[in-house]
Amino acid sequence: MAKLKQAKRKNNFAMWVMFSPYLFLLIAFGLIPVIMAILEVPHESRVNPDGGWDAFKIVLQDFRFLPAVGHVLGFMAIFVPTTIIFVIAMSLMLDLNPSKWKKWLRMSYIVPASISGAVAVLVWYAILQPTISPIREPLSWVGITTSDQIWQTKNLVYIFAIMAFFAIAGNWILIQFGSLQSISGEVIEAARVDGCSALQIALRIKLPLIKKYIVYMGVLIFAGGLQIFVEPELLNKGIYLGIAESWSLDQLAFELAFTTGDFGGASALSLMLLVPSLLGALVVIFKTDMFEEAEVNRNKKAEA
Amino acid sequence: MKKKYSLIAAAAVAVMAGTTVMAMPAQAAKPKITIWVDAPRLPGAKLYAQIMKKTVDVKVELKAQGELVQKVSLFNRVKKGWPDVVFGPPNDVSVLRDAANARALNDLAPASFWKDMEAGNQWCKGEDGKYYCVKNDLAQTVLWVNTKLMKDFGYTVPKTMADFEKIGLDIAKNHPGYSVGALGAQGAYSSFLWPSQCPVNQATSATAVKIAPKSPKCTRATTLLNNLINAGVMSTSAPWDADFIKDFGAANKVVMTIGPSWFGEFVIRPAGSWNVPAGQITAAPMPMWAGEKINYSGEWGGGIYTVSPHSKFPKEALAFAIFMVSDKRNVVDVANPDGSKGAPTFPASQKGNAFWKAKVSSDKYYAADPYPAMLEQSKKIFSGEKPVSYDTNSAMEGVFSNELKKSKNAQTALEAFATYATNLAKQLGYKVATS
Repeated sequence: MAKLKQAKRKNNFAMWVMFSPYLFLLIAFGLIPVIMAILEVPHESRVNPDGGWDAFKIVLQDFRFLPAVGHVLGFMAIFVPTTIIFVIAMSLMLDLNPSKWKKWLRMSYIVPASISGAVAVLVWYAILQPTISPIREPLSWVGITTSDQIWQTKNLVYIFAIMAFFAIAGNWILIQFGSLQSISGEVIEAARVDGCSALQIALRIKLPLIKKYIVYMGVLIFAGGLQIFVEPELLNKGIYLGIAESWSLDQLAFELAFTTGDFGGASALSLMLLVPSLLGALVVIFKTDMFEEAEVNRNKKAEA
Repeated sequence: MKKKYSLIAAAAVAVMAGTTVMAMPAQAAKPKITIWVDAPRLPGAKLYAQIMKKTVDVKVELKAQGELVQKVSLFNRVKKGWPDVVFGPPNDVSVLRDAANARALNDLAPASFWKDMEAGNQWCKGEDGKYYCVKNDLAQTVLWVNTKLMKDFGYTVPKTMADFEKIGLDIAKNHPGYSVGALGAQGAYSSFLWPSQCPVNQATSATAVKIAPKSPKCTRATTLLNNLINAGVMSTSAPWDADFIKDFGAANKVVMTIGPSWFGEFVIRPAGSWNVPAGQITAAPMPMWAGEKINYSGEWGGGIYTVSPHSKFPKEALAFAIFMVSDKRNVVDVANPDGSKGAPTFPASQKGNAFWKAKVSSDKYYAADPYPAMLEQSKKIFSGEKPVSYDTNSAMEGVFSNELKKSKNAQTALEAFATYATNLAKQLGYKVATS
């Protein structure tokens, strides 16, 4: 009995040692900034002259707030489902075909993913700018010959969706391909013996087995999309001045802080943005069996 | 002028969060100042640091225009980090004064300097009659003319806006493919709306502004622009957008264009830009709007130097600005990375301006001396437009330009801008008059 307690204490100690580097980062770059943001909200500014928690209301009533919500939701409505469906389809197909080309295929997925953020903006600027574009012929078939047909605020939801899609789809294809590899070959073999077609195996066997990874991917893509900042900000400041002014919610927070000098409003908006991402994380932890499964497996192994 | 260097700006913005705040200079025998300048001002600032090496410790930092405005609240919060003297866009003086970071400068320089600057520095004069900034240059608009094309096509330089429009429509009919300018970025505002006295940012006090897009002074300009846009001779791109350069600028198909005094040295001439051959370009006075007595100019840019009230060496800080605007070594001699020499901009100081005149007037590049037209227009910048505490430039370059590209209608674009700017102004407590 005493031995067991000792073992437990040892376990606890090991847990804390392993956890401490992350705990430090969590406190320094997660908890402290959140607490600072909360404390910052009621400060006075020219926009909120009396200070106080009105800051939340003032931000919600800001004339740029609703358009920014519209932009981000429009962007996500295209980006999130397209990416999820494409990733699932591609990884299932990659899993299907065990040819010698697989290595090269995998590389072809990961290369576009290495062009992300700031670089992606420049790359896509060059691709979509009709004068220098490598695809200017196809662009001209659909009637696009001048830059002012492309670079308009109303087109940005599509442009950013394309940028974001290419930046992350490749990585997720490989990750989901990895999760498909974890499915036991016996299960697939059994299904095949029972007369499942390849499509049925993919949809009825493989897909349910990697469901939790797909939910996990969905939540991360959702949270990332919600916080889109680099692409519009760079386009706005570096390429077409003003084209994406306060286009996304993160940009509006940035704008409030650094153009209007309203740190309280910026903090209030940041805290509001934290909520959906936090909810997403909670869904992954408590509503999927993402982490419990691992534990069950371990126990099973221990039993064996 | 900031466009060309805007990638640097973007990079600066991207790393903003990670930038360290520098410490205030310690009190020492040798004065120490920190200077923030953008890329076109960098060679002059570096030269100044070298010249002053023995007497003043000058630290030069390359910053995007307007970066101080983004950081000043942070500096105010932590009570350190303010640079001593900064180059920025003209509207910043109002924003920086609100943030208590633009010092009154009158006592820091001898009366002779202020006399030299008197004509050029009106923008910087506060309601109390004190100067809160030093204007680097005047960016008054003039009519840039390609004398060769004008002659080939048989046009005479327009004296009125009606003539300007008539030539534009004739070009559309008889010489399709040629252009009379580009309206993107601040083109429509500085070249047409402002000279027409359209109330875009007519601040009447620190808390009141007139934004009246439906005023006849606005509609006459937007009507003219719409006619030229519809005829296909006026582009809604910016003069440095790749397609405008390719189709018109570098193809040498811009017959004439209204643009600021720095267009010649910075947009029309450089090899990487329009690259118009020598002996074809000159500047003419602004055409006059019907019923007016003065052919006003607008301004596009015309940056300013501000000195922080937190500077321990404000005299030394202002001395840098004085060097930049009036010293021959910067105005005409400093070597730029692209091989050109001197500042591309029309100095606001009379002394500096005389050096600049000597250089530009004798420059064989121009078909005829562009200086007299610039000088005339420098005295005719319509003074109704004023610095305001909100970011009107971004609204103009963003909301106006985007709406113009979309609708191809200058009036629609102006009204979209007015709605946006009115919201910005009201948020800061401005009273907005619409008529």
